[in-house]
Amino acid sequence: MGFLSILIFLPLLAALVMLLLPKSAAGSAKYLALAATAGQLLLTGYLYVHFDSAQAGINDVNSFQYVEQLSWIRLQIGADKLLEIDYFLGLDGLSLPLIVLSAVVMLMAIGASWNVTKSVKGYFALLMLLNTAVMGVFCALDFFLFYVFYEVMLLPLYFLIGIWGGVRREYAAVKFFIYTLLGSVFMLLVIVGLYFSVTNPATGANTFNMLHMMNPANYGEESFFGWVRNFHEIFGIPARLIGFAILFIAFAIKVPIVPLHTWLPDAHVEAPTPVSIILAGILLKVGGYGILRICIGIFPDMAALSNWWLGLIGVISILYGAFNALAQKDLKRLIAYSSVSHMGFVLLGIATLTTEGISGAMFQMISHGFLSAALFFLVGVIYDRVHDRDIYNFRGLASHMPRYTVFVAIAFFASLGLPGFSAFIGEAFVIIGAFNSESVGTGLPRWMAVGGSIGILLSAVYFLWTLQRMFFGQTRFKGGEEWATALNDVTMREQIILYPALALAIILGIMPSLVFTPLNESVMRLVSVVSSFL
Amino acid sequence: MMNLLHISPIHASLAVLLFPLAAFLYQALRGKQDQSGIVGLLGILLSTAASAFFVFFPIWQQTPVEATASWFTVGKHTFSAGILLNNLTVLMQLLVCIIALPVHIYSRVYMKGDPGIHRYWMYLSLFCFAMLALCVANNLLLMYVFWELVGFASYLLIGFWFTKDAAVQANKKAFIVNRIGDIGFLIGIALVYAHMGTLNLSELFGKQSPLFEQIPLWHTERWMTYAGLAFFVGAMAKSAQFPFHVWLPDAMEGPTSVSSLIHAATMVAAGVFLLATVFPLFNESILLVIAIIGTITALTASYFALAQQDIKKVLAFSTISQLGFMVVAVGIGAWNAAIFHLVTHAFFKCLLFLCAGAIIHEMAHAIPAAAKVDPQDMRNMGGLRRFMPYTFILMVIASLALAGFPLTSGFLSKDSIVIAAFEWAVERGGTYLIIPIVLVLVSFLTAFYIGRMIFKVFFGKPKLWSDEKVTVFHEAPKGMWIPMAFLGLCSLFFVFSFNPISHQNAALMQGLTLLTGFQPIDSLHMFIPIVLITGSAIGWWLGYRWYVQGKYPFQENNAWVQHAQKQAYINEFYQFIIVRSTLYLSRGLYWFDHYIVDGLTNGAASVTRAVGRVSAWVDRNLVDGLVNLVAQTSYYAGHLLRWVQNGRLQNYMGFAFTMVLFGILYLVLR
Repeated sequence: MGFLSILIFLPLLAALVMLLLPKSAAGSAKYLALAATAGQLLLTGYLYVHFDSAQAGINDVNSFQYVEQLSWIRLQIGADKLLEIDYFLGLDGLSLPLIVLSAVVMLMAIGASWNVTKSVKGYFALLMLLNTAVMGVFCALDFFLFYVFYEVMLLPLYFLIGIWGGVRREYAAVKFFIYTLLGSVFMLLVIVGLYFSVTNPATGANTFNMLHMMNPANYGEESFFGWVRNFHEIFGIPARLIGFAILFIAFAIKVPIVPLHTWLPDAHVEAPTPVSIILAGILLKVGGYGILRICIGIFPDMAALSNWWLGLIGVISILYGAFNALAQKDLKRLIAYSSVSHMGFVLLGIATLTTEGISGAMFQMISHGFLSAALFFLVGVIYDRVHDRDIYNFRGLASHMPRYTVFVAIAFFASLGLPGFSAFIGEAFVIIGAFNSESVGTGLPRWMAVGGSIGILLSAVYFLWTLQRMFFGQTRFKGGEEWATALNDVTMREQIILYPALALAIILGIMPSLVFTPLNESVMRLVSVVSSFL
Repeated sequence: MMNLLHISPIHASLAVLLFPLAAFLYQALRGKQDQSGIVGLLGILLSTAASAFFVFFPIWQQTPVEATASWFTVGKHTFSAGILLNNLTVLMQLLVCIIALPVHIYSRVYMKGDPGIHRYWMYLSLFCFAMLALCVANNLLLMYVFWELVGFASYLLIGFWFTKDAAVQANKKAFIVNRIGDIGFLIGIALVYAHMGTLNLSELFGKQSPLFEQIPLWHTERWMTYAGLAFFVGAMAKSAQFPFHVWLPDAMEGPTSVSSLIHAATMVAAGVFLLATVFPLFNESILLVIAIIGTITALTASYFALAQQDIKKVLAFSTISQLGFMVVAVGIGAWNAAIFHLVTHAFFKCLLFLCAGAIIHEMAHAIPAAAKVDPQDMRNMGGLRRFMPYTFILMVIASLALAGFPLTSGFLSKDSIVIAAFEWAVERGGTYLIIPIVLVLVSFLTAFYIGRMIFKVFFGKPKLWSDEKVTVFHEAPKGMWIPMAFLGLCSLFFVFSFNPISHQNAALMQGLTLLTGFQPIDSLHMFIPIVLITGSAIGWWLGYRWYVQGKYPFQENNAWVQHAQKQAYINEFYQFIIVRSTLYLSRGLYWFDHYIVDGLTNGAASVTRAVGRVSAWVDRNLVDGLVNLVAQTSYYAGHLLRWVQNGRLQNYMGFAFTMVLFGILYLVLR
């Protein structure tokens, strides 16, 4: 049993124990969850410290680390076909930072759930199941295994939103579930197509191994997704392009991109605070990770072909999300739309196909991970107290809750890309990469970079406007005295949750090498894989 | 002795910026418990000492020194962080220290008793740290980091009184307008990185570096023009150049001590500093744009300054106008003159603001709280020279320096710009002469508006107090006028040049020698100062006649005065055109998102549900109906046949006979 298996299944174990707890001991579920997640964080810390950043990973199994490969399902189909599904895990520079991020955000979410009273056991068991699935997605190197974890993520989220959510929780939960399922169902078709196209060079059997899928030599001569002499078309579109597009749409729904983003504001607004934290902090990153590892890793030729469109979608998401955020009156919805805008940078960075851009995109994912977690948590702080989060119902919070205001101001300025905080590094490198694209020859025009930088300007506009409207000026609340007494300043528990996230934002802003160093080799490998098709 | 005190300039320079950082962190951790600001003061005091003795003197006129450490690596490029010390950077660092120190001392009295004073000290230290680091950063990315951080500190300080609506509107405006510039700076960085592969200043612009040789060759390329424009946009926002100047007058909502340090002397000059740093990037056309924008800024701002009634607004527009002078100097290629003016301007403008602060302080104390009178409005002042003689003298010195009278530092630096502008224009001839002529005109206007301010504030009779013997007014306390006196001293000529009429001898100009593209014209060095002095003197004389002797020739509030006072309605224009349209656009897009994009999603859901209902209907009524039809049919058939078996023999016989009959009929008819 390797480190990664422990990392993945530790929370599942905790969930099983929770379910066995008697009703009288239901309160201890949260301690179990906390212990499991803390254990995971320690483990990821260990993995991070012992990670060899000279190893690239991506398409070479030997340079993956903490690899575990067991044959899982072997099924003889017909005379000469062998179904080969492996339990295959490993880490490289793309997955390691996301693993650490997931552990941190999960811990924050557990902290934010401390006061849950409605069916505590079920709640924490579902959180732990989600935790297992998330870790599995980031570690899996077998496409079948990846898909299993990917689908398992949906189930706990559906119930977490649908049971513990707000007023329109059923609507939001169903919308979220069906939207994501829509993408992943088609993804399954592509997975099967890839399976029939790729053979394991060692055994000759068809395989779900992602690393084999990245090697053009493993594709059958005239197989459906084959590289050379591929005449397969669907509606006149080459098969490989269709495969790429379907996988991209599946992950893009998760990111989310405009116009496939409308599940996100609803899910966020209805979800309880901890689920919002996980949704924004981890789930969206699965999309970006999938695009990098799978869409670009397996279809680098198509990525090189269509990166102009990816960049366009990225810029549209940035600007459209930012303008929509500007129009919001509900603070949580504003932050949800700002997520759309900030995740647009991830897509723009990926589309540049330059080391700067992709590194920036990865950095932006990490940074947005705990910053959005902190932002949603901060919204939860006032919502918990007065069950309202309409921007116009609050004024002058700075005089009333000074400590809270300091946290909000730091989180806002960090999110709007103030240097010294992590978001700046991510966004700046996406922009630099986008400008560099023309020089390197990956074909992203410079107006896209300029469009992206206007998004940076707009993020300052909506965050500062919110600060001005809610926090500054003379104190005045819609709920009057009643609210004034309810709105006490942040508690110790809340501060303990916020400190690490904001500290990480500063630490990574000052020492970006903490992320760039393990990342660098992998990104360079990925770029070199793509650049041979430019 | 010197050996004992030998500290490497790099370490000393690092210490210069770490002292305020340490002070900031200390004050951030102590929070409300630290009201005195002694730590902040100590930090800047140590910084000033270190900067003067261990950085400036060892480096000035010596070979530049640089130290770098790798910061992070992306791809094959390693981004470094480091310190570059050359004449320009050590001068800027020392200047910031020397201005910040008296402002700190002054603030201890000026801000005393403010409930948020712990925040004030914290923000001030943060600003000092960022600004000092900005001066010595050795690469553009690092410079950008501190560039935005000074903007952030300025945001915090403008909105220091955050319960005041005007203050929080102003700080938002300042940050957003500066953000536009920051985007420009960032785009410039990205372009330079994409084409030159490095952001290190000495690799780019070091005289020995191979890249530096190639830069002039690239001047014809289009990206170079864009990059130059992008950097200039960055400088325009920070240095409040037209049309991005709108944030600076509003920024006067901050405490006056802050206005003096940040929005007059140091931060706003950072744009000029940036232009001087990346100067080799600018090609001819960009330089011309820079000169034109600078001229427009100088002219419009001095025009707006003529009609302002708020004492701080007059000074704010005067700052913008003087920044315009510096930008023109960069545009004509004489960035050393720009830096010279930056330095002299820092002292006298800081002093002007501190004097204004002293006056506002006294006004605010003298006005009863119930009377809703604006303590900053010059219409409420008058005759103050009898009550505040030190402030009066110091403010007059600073005003003379601003107006460019001989024996002041302003005379030296302003003349150097105007003369260079003439030399530059004469070489090009024709319409280029408009620029220096406008500068001369602006100099006259400057003399007039600052004279107007002095006369309105210090001469005439007090407006609010009929009894002249009233003793509500005092001289500013010692803690305030001593730092002011120090700045007053620095506004005089001998600090910069022992020759009071020649700027060429100024040590500062000799430290920043550069080859300009135009020939010096000796006659101008005689002629220009005389014109400027005469014009300025006329300006003061007019001011005296109009405002002291009361011979004001125009109607009060005529259209031009209104126009100037409202700043040519530029703010209203921005509000109605840009801000509103952005908001409408965002609301429109949200409507689109809510009703069209999400509507499509919900529509798809509804269609799916409708299809479901239809198929359920089909299933129930057609498919199942068919099944039921079959069942019903057989049931009815059975039902019909059932009465055949009713147990009556006759019926059975009749039935059998009928069937036989049918059989026979069939056989017969076949």
